[in-house]
Amino acid sequence: MINYIAKRLFYSLFLLLGITFLTFLFIQIAPGDFLSELKSNPQVSRSTIKLYEEKFHLDKPLIEQYLIWVKNLLKGDLGYSFSYKAEVKKVIASRAKNTLLLSLSAVIFTWIFVIPLGILASLHKDKFIDKFLSFLSYIGISTPSFFMAMLLLYFAYITRWFPLGGMRSLRFDELSCFAKFLDIIKHLIIPTLALSFASISSLQRIMRANLLEVLGSSYILSAKARGLGKKRILYIHTLKNALNPMITIFGYQFSSLLSGAALTEIIVGWPGLGRVTLEAVMKQDLYLVMGSVIIGGVLLILGNLIADVLLASCDPRIRY
Amino acid sequence: MRRLINKLLPIFLLTSFNSFSSVWQKPLDEYKLGCGKKGGKLTLYSTSDPKSFNPIVAKETSTTQITSFLFEGLTQTDPCTLEVLPHLAKSWHTTEDKKEWIFYLRDDVYWSDGEKFTAQDVIFTFNEIIYNPKIPTSSRDIFTIDGKKIKVEKIDDYTVRFTLPSVFAPFLRSLSVEILPSHKYRKLVTEGKFTFSMGLDSNPSDIVGTGPFRLKKYLAGEKVVLEKNPYYWKKDACGEKLPYLDEIIFVILPNPDTALLKFLEGEIDYYSLRPQDLAVLGPIKEKDFTIYNAGIAFGSNFLVLNQNPLVNPYTKKPYVKSYKLKWFRNKLFRKAISFAINRRKIIMIVMNGLGVPQFSPLSRANKIFYSDKIIKYPYNPERAKEILSELGFRDINNDGILEDKDGYNLEINFFTNANSTERVTIATLIKKDLEKIGFKINFLPLDFNNLVNKLVSTYDWEMVLIGLTGGIEPYFGKNVWSYRGDLHMWNPTKEALDDYEVKIDNIFNRSVKTFNLDERKKFFSQWQYIVSENLPLIYTVSGYSLYAVRNRFGNLFPTVYGGAFSQIEYLYIKDKKDD
Repeated sequence: MINYIAKRLFYSLFLLLGITFLTFLFIQIAPGDFLSELKSNPQVSRSTIKLYEEKFHLDKPLIEQYLIWVKNLLKGDLGYSFSYKAEVKKVIASRAKNTLLLSLSAVIFTWIFVIPLGILASLHKDKFIDKFLSFLSYIGISTPSFFMAMLLLYFAYITRWFPLGGMRSLRFDELSCFAKFLDIIKHLIIPTLALSFASISSLQRIMRANLLEVLGSSYILSAKARGLGKKRILYIHTLKNALNPMITIFGYQFSSLLSGAALTEIIVGWPGLGRVTLEAVMKQDLYLVMGSVIIGGVLLILGNLIADVLLASCDPRIRY
Repeated sequence: MRRLINKLLPIFLLTSFNSFSSVWQKPLDEYKLGCGKKGGKLTLYSTSDPKSFNPIVAKETSTTQITSFLFEGLTQTDPCTLEVLPHLAKSWHTTEDKKEWIFYLRDDVYWSDGEKFTAQDVIFTFNEIIYNPKIPTSSRDIFTIDGKKIKVEKIDDYTVRFTLPSVFAPFLRSLSVEILPSHKYRKLVTEGKFTFSMGLDSNPSDIVGTGPFRLKKYLAGEKVVLEKNPYYWKKDACGEKLPYLDEIIFVILPNPDTALLKFLEGEIDYYSLRPQDLAVLGPIKEKDFTIYNAGIAFGSNFLVLNQNPLVNPYTKKPYVKSYKLKWFRNKLFRKAISFAINRRKIIMIVMNGLGVPQFSPLSRANKIFYSDKIIKYPYNPERAKEILSELGFRDINNDGILEDKDGYNLEINFFTNANSTERVTIATLIKKDLEKIGFKINFLPLDFNNLVNKLVSTYDWEMVLIGLTGGIEPYFGKNVWSYRGDLHMWNPTKEALDDYEVKIDNIFNRSVKTFNLDERKKFFSQWQYIVSENLPLIYTVSGYSLYAVRNRFGNLFPTVYGGAFSQIEYLYIKDKKDD
């Protein structure tokens, strides 16, 4: 097992190199660069732009720029952000924990609902509850999360039940420790709902389908025939088998922990990483984009690895 | 539920906004700054994080709207009259030939860390930062006159001498550049670290200026908090120290709709209106805020046609097809386009009626240099058609699209930047107007960086709608207007294609050599006339600046140039009973 993990990690290094090189290439061959905005300013001369190009090493050949970046990466240096004129590490670090908080809250919220709702729907197949849940799912799947965030914000404005975006109140510093905690929870509600509504809708359907498939299989039939209790069949024999595909999906979700919430972050004013990354892509702030991509890549690889290991420990048929 | 319906109704029902003229107020033409009351907070918002607190290196709006409260220059611009006023320099005099200038600095100014401001700081800012060849800053481009530097010397602790290599008319206005403290940043400059210093991770006490406020706290993606600078030098008419406010908070809200909700809820004190927001804010009764219409804004949108006659050295093909170049180079063709644009309709649809047609390269907001002696092109599609048929355009094959004398379809590729929805809508309307008189327009919104790249390096474009931010001094547009400039988009050959280009270049060169304002106005009025006659850029519309601000503030004088809070140090919170 340990052998297997080591091998996987070793191969992922090449994968990461490939991902970063492609990203680098795409940003660089896209027309224009970070300095385009300066070039459109009548008060900036060509010599000033040249000076910026030198400072940012944009005047070197593409491959050389990439190699310098990789070399620095090995030393743990992610490079400079052009627009923030600061180290990428610092820009990302200042935001990553906020995004992580939001994504984790969304993931937990999602999974709390997915499995029970899936079970409920599959046990009442084609009854009212199942139909009602599938109706809700259609709404959830077809409403983009940013639009959901907007609707929820408007709802919050009318009812005044929740704060209107942001992560903390303006008076945050004056609050007591427990009140601070409550304050953040209160601010988390809207973005969490917006983010998890769509994934609950779709995953709950998948969970239902998995369960139905297993429930219809012959070994469950034989278990029923031998007189095993309904609960025992469901929770021990069916659920365990139905969960396998869900674990794989969970692994994929891991990769979007730091990058999957950009639009929602913008709508609700959450101070996260997605917002910064999106802005960086638009402005072709090269190394900031590379920094975000590398984090996303690492998380994707880790997520898949964790899912595979979990699968192996759940399912005796899988051995590495 | 009833409440919900009441709130939603105005948004859905009000589609005609003409009756809103009573909704907003015009700020007073002249402002009187009264004595106020100390204390209180002002909560503003910003659509994106500042990128740095370094006023010399970072010049984007998200940064300057904050640094403008932290730093000051030797002169300042009156936000209302747009004249140059003394600031850190209390007075100055100059020799007959206007080349040597002596500035007398205020001797009562302290930096926000308590150190005294002296001539040394001015010398340091110019000689070691602005003229430092290792620090990239557009300020150096402004203070480089005919390729030469200005000599800046200290006479004594409160007197500085500037010796100009040649006469430079916008000199006083340019001196509003931020002065930085020598005692704080000299070390960073000598170590070569200044370009990447004063970043967002700085300790607030390391951002030192002479402005009315200083940095208190920055939370990435959330807010910037400024606090009163206890050492600030300005006093009000009653002799009290300014500023009145204790704190200014910038909440960072990337989505304007969220900002609007927060403004309605009362969390932020200010909101910069988009035209469609009047439908929401206008009908509210008993509001605790006022909507100010500060007048026409400085920015502009214009059409430009590629007149580049050169051949692409890589593909060996001309940048613009030769038959199209013939059209674009023809002044009458450009006039036909200008006549064909229904500017009133654009204003009605894009700006809810809150704008004016623009024909001059200067916005009307530029009270000093705007001239009305220009040729205007009111909507006249018949006239446009006449001109086109005089030029030999006919619809020979009856497909609704005109053909030129050689049988080529009148087909033009049209780009604009996709990130400005306003501009995309304007471009769509222009496309429809032109198609009405027989053009075929292939419209494509592009990414901003891509568009700029086409305009300044690859030159593969035909017609573009874009805008430039404008300031007061027209000379700073020289890079656009002189055929030798780097942003002379329609003709990047660095050689004049028409006589008028030589004329404009002459005007710009001569305008900078005289300090006589009437003479300068004459020069720039000629320039505006020549542009409106030859239409290298076809201007479209300019909109009003609308701000909504809560009623509890005193000394509030919104202007187009200075924004809603042009006199921030005098702003105070009124007592309840004064309302």
